Amino acid sequence: MTEASQEKPDAAEEDLRLIERVLGGDRQAFEALVRSHERRVFRVTLAVLGQVEDAEDAMQETFIKAYRHLKQFRRESRFTTWLTRIAVNEALQRRQSRKDHLPLDESSPAQHRDFPQRFEPWAADPENLYTKQELRELVEKAIRSLSAIYRETLILCDIEGMSAKEAAEVLGVNIAALKSRLLRARLMMRDALSASFEQPRPFGRRVVDTAAEVKNMMGMVLMRVARR
Amino acid sequence: MRMLSCEEVLANLSDYFDGECSSEFRAQLEDHISKCRRCRVVFDSTGTMLKILVDVEPFEVPLAVSARLYSRLQEVLSEE
Repeated sequence: MTEASQEKPDAAEEDLRLIERVLGGDRQAFEALVRSHERRVFRVTLAVLGQVEDAEDAMQETFIKAYRHLKQFRRESRFTTWLTRIAVNEALQRRQSRKDHLPLDESSPAQHRDFPQRFEPWAADPENLYTKQELRELVEKAIRSLSAIYRETLILCDIEGMSAKEAAEVLGVNIAALKSRLLRARLMMRDALSASFEQPRPFGRRVVDTAAEVKNMMGMVLMRVARR
Repeated sequence: MRMLSCEEVLANLSDYFDGECSSEFRAQLEDHISKCRRCRVVFDSTGTMLKILVDVEPFEVPLAVSARLYSRLQEVLSEE
């Protein structure tokens, strides 16, 4: 869990004020509650389901269920956590019924690559290399490249700020499995973004590398020719 | 101080970023990355990646998706 992703305390208090108003019959207050959480709910359902159309349906059901069960919300946990649980459950149920889109699991060959694979340092301030929109597109593309179990773990823990224990509970896996997925997800994300964020290599170094690569390739070509 | 292996550093990278390592292990890990270039690269860039993830707030709700959400909620809430 990263510190920056923690919800602000005043946001949690505002949620409680809005919930009181909704329970008192104020529907406008529910709209305000939806506005402040729709992005989070969309991101979570998209993380689990991978497709915008499915995520949209799951998001609508999440808010309808939240409205209908608001009286059952216990203030021991944050509203955000309660709502995220509903969203994850809703999305997981849909995924289970969608047999043609079962997520890849840890035994998938595509996930057996060893990470990390890239060892060039990143630029000192890579966020300045791109506009905010470009940066967002790079990050979204990298997240989409992960299979579902890594995508949902990364989003719940590193964007939504859930602890490993909370994320393990809502996803229905044990904490050791969750932590192992989180480590792999982070290393895969790092590798996926490395090509865009690594420091440009010094010219001389690249020439040496290129010369070595050419020599290596020439050797392979000569061996193939010799075998004929 | 015992020198950690690169595998131990990698296996505990998440726990380090999540503040779940003991102070002794933390010091051992920091000592290793100060001496090992490859682990330092992985450590630094993983930390940067985690910061970027939060900063960019990926996946906005498309306008049409948001509009359909409010219209559906209005429908459902008015029936309740």
